[in-house]
Amino acid sequence: MNAPWKRDGSANVPAGLPPPLEAIRDIVRRVVEHLPVQPPSFVLARVLDQMLLPRLPADAREALSRRIVELQITDLGIRVRLQLEARGFCVASVQGEPALRILAPAASYLRLLRGEDDADRLFFERALIMEGDTELGLVLKNTLDALGPLFGTRNTQSM
Amino acid sequence: MNSAAARSFALTIGPVQYHWPRQVMLDFYAEMAASPADTIVLGETVCSRRRELKPADWLDLARDLASTGKEIVLATRTLVESEADLRFLRRLAEQHDFLVEAGDASALQVLAGTVPFVLGPHINVYNRAALAEHAALGARRWVAPVELALDMLGLVNPPGDPVKTDSGAAVATEAFAFGRLPLAFSARCFTARHHRLNKDECEFRCLEYPDGLMLSSNEGQPFLVLNGTQTQSAAQHCLIGDAAALRAAGVSRLRLSPGSKNFAQVVQWFDRVMNQGVPVEDALPALQAMSLQGGLSNGFARHRAGMEWSTA
Amino acid sequence: MSAVVEGGSVVKPELVCPAGSLRALQMAVGAGADAVYVGLKDATNARNFAGLNFDDAQLREGVAFAHARGARVLMALNTFADARGVDPWYRAVDTAVAMGADALIVADTAVMAYCRSHHPQLRLHLSVQASATSYEAIEFYRRHYGIQRAVLPRVLTLSQVAHVVRLSMVDIEVFGFGSLCVMVEGRCALSSYVTGQSPNTAGVCSPPSAVRWQDTRAGVEARLNGVLIDCYAPDEPRGYPTLCKGRFDVEGRRGYAIEEPTSLNTLAILPELIALGVKAIKIEGRQRSPAYVEQVTRVWRAAIDEAAGSAGGYSVRPEWNATLMRFAEGQHHTLGAYDRPWR
Repeated sequence: MNAPWKRDGSANVPAGLPPPLEAIRDIVRRVVEHLPVQPPSFVLARVLDQMLLPRLPADAREALSRRIVELQITDLGIRVRLQLEARGFCVASVQGEPALRILAPAASYLRLLRGEDDADRLFFERALIMEGDTELGLVLKNTLDALGPLFGTRNTQSM
Repeated sequence: MNSAAARSFALTIGPVQYHWPRQVMLDFYAEMAASPADTIVLGETVCSRRRELKPADWLDLARDLASTGKEIVLATRTLVESEADLRFLRRLAEQHDFLVEAGDASALQVLAGTVPFVLGPHINVYNRAALAEHAALGARRWVAPVELALDMLGLVNPPGDPVKTDSGAAVATEAFAFGRLPLAFSARCFTARHHRLNKDECEFRCLEYPDGLMLSSNEGQPFLVLNGTQTQSAAQHCLIGDAAALRAAGVSRLRLSPGSKNFAQVVQWFDRVMNQGVPVEDALPALQAMSLQGGLSNGFARHRAGMEWSTA
Repeated sequence: MSAVVEGGSVVKPELVCPAGSLRALQMAVGAGADAVYVGLKDATNARNFAGLNFDDAQLREGVAFAHARGARVLMALNTFADARGVDPWYRAVDTAVAMGADALIVADTAVMAYCRSHHPQLRLHLSVQASATSYEAIEFYRRHYGIQRAVLPRVLTLSQVAHVVRLSMVDIEVFGFGSLCVMVEGRCALSSYVTGQSPNTAGVCSPPSAVRWQDTRAGVEARLNGVLIDCYAPDEPRGYPTLCKGRFDVEGRRGYAIEEPTSLNTLAILPELIALGVKAIKIEGRQRSPAYVEQVTRVWRAAIDEAAGSAGGYSVRPEWNATLMRFAEGQHHTLGAYDRPWR
């Protein structure tokens, strides 16, 4: 069993990506791999400005400030580089090592953002990989945990 | 200035942490009887299965050594689990010949109000108020936790304003000054585990490792030492260059933790440097040359990682 | 095999769950925790991680939320007060009282003495960090500081736990599930030997600031202050970079010389724990996410209800273990020290 798509590093995709998404994954990847890094970063920065920034506690804001965080959606080949500035999230330079790099397939990000999964569990299973400043990664993880789902909530908050 | 010094530091021979054969143990203490040490701590503190010397043997040995002029302290187990452990504690509380070193809170419970006692390094005293609590119950000497930096020792028990015992005397501070550091204790025996044996059928394999079983990183860096249920540092903690900081922190006693090789020389060097004015520069090369695999460390004394070494 | 004591009545142990955030607290209470344990955002508790824990306002809100639903809030104040300034520990005691916490989980005799002199009504639980492994040790803290419950270190066998329960004058709490400390808690300076920071002093073990993950040709290396703790092949599951769970060389053999990355899981012996009189079961994991807290709490609520129910016939349901295994570090679980051969 030697699926051709495994050679480029997507071997660790956990179960859970819905079948339709799985089918179009290769197509998406072929397209976005040829795109520059900016467009998805720009979109995400605006989304985070609206959904995350207003709820971000001061200590987390300070820890993230002016540090490049790179998110890679491994199964879609998308790479996003962001940096928190005084005015909000910005697209970060493609040059230089990011302070923190997070690599995970789309399904992992979705489950985390919906508050359905535990980052440590994904980490144990290698469905989420962090490289670089481990402490910064932990600040981010703990802060997002404390905030709860950014979208798609099952609404346990309303208890 | 050097020659004027009276003995600045009393030297304590800590309990032997390893499982040595009976005769090796007796020979070792015969050698220590002739050493410049002031105090000898006796007893099996690590594992209740080790019985090369039985409780009665330890008491006999204590009396023999006391007759040579040494102060004797009897130490209790660090991890107390069984009724047998507790019976031994009660027996120590009933004798009045020797000081007892408490290894855990079970010992504190049994000893408080009976005999004066020493707080062993694994009783967690990290601040002055905690030391005062224990002093009120009969503690007269404090062996500081090994991870505590020297300036912290001075804050817990300041030389200018020491914590007082119930009888009004100053509590003495003892620092762990030489030897592989006792870092952790478990119910699991790591030596038996290495040999794929159950703890209850361990075959006393720790007898094969007179200075513990080396654990290295996968890059070959000597890192820790497995000693039965105890985990030690590979490096030998060494504060021979820290006389001034020790004195400033109010430390009056230095604990030297036994090893199987050249230990009498270690005691000699500490006595010469700490009490006779011999420059540390003379001693260090000798101690370094005869150190065990893992070398020397002193990071704990200076708020650093314990494994670090610096001569600054 | 339900747990029945002399009078025929079943004593149901309290389910004590971790909360690293207000959200986790709400999830735990919602999922059936009888009590949650929390810490403040500083070095006064043994899970002092960035972004984790409670400020005063969150604690107040958490206590109100729990109390409104009949759950208790226990505050962990279980590091040893720093000789350079013990005030943060004493202030934390005052904060816990002011915010209405139901009990403090303490390890330092200085903190206990402060509680007794300043807040004599405050309920004290002896933290696992106090390393009390015998009934005499527990009695020491009861006699001098009036502790009303003790949390046992994870190093005793089931029969030793039974012995302690039988002879102790206070309630006994044991760990039921979560990452496993193989060392006696409160007696471990491994982390400070490598990094300068320890559970006793800084409330951290193998702190993230000292951890570096590095991709190399040999695999992904985990280093703690430069010391190679482990190296993972590309498809190998990973664990926390806790140094006691690394792989090392001993006499030429590479392996988990101290402890595998496993989790403790005592579901299989829950009826025995209840029968021998354990009063509370603790779930580890204040550093874990609300999703973990909610799902693990749900499993344990169901298990305790069933094991303590008079219907009898308790058996571990496969779906309980499946959920717990999903979250377990190392994807394995063990009975730990409760099971004699482990030792």
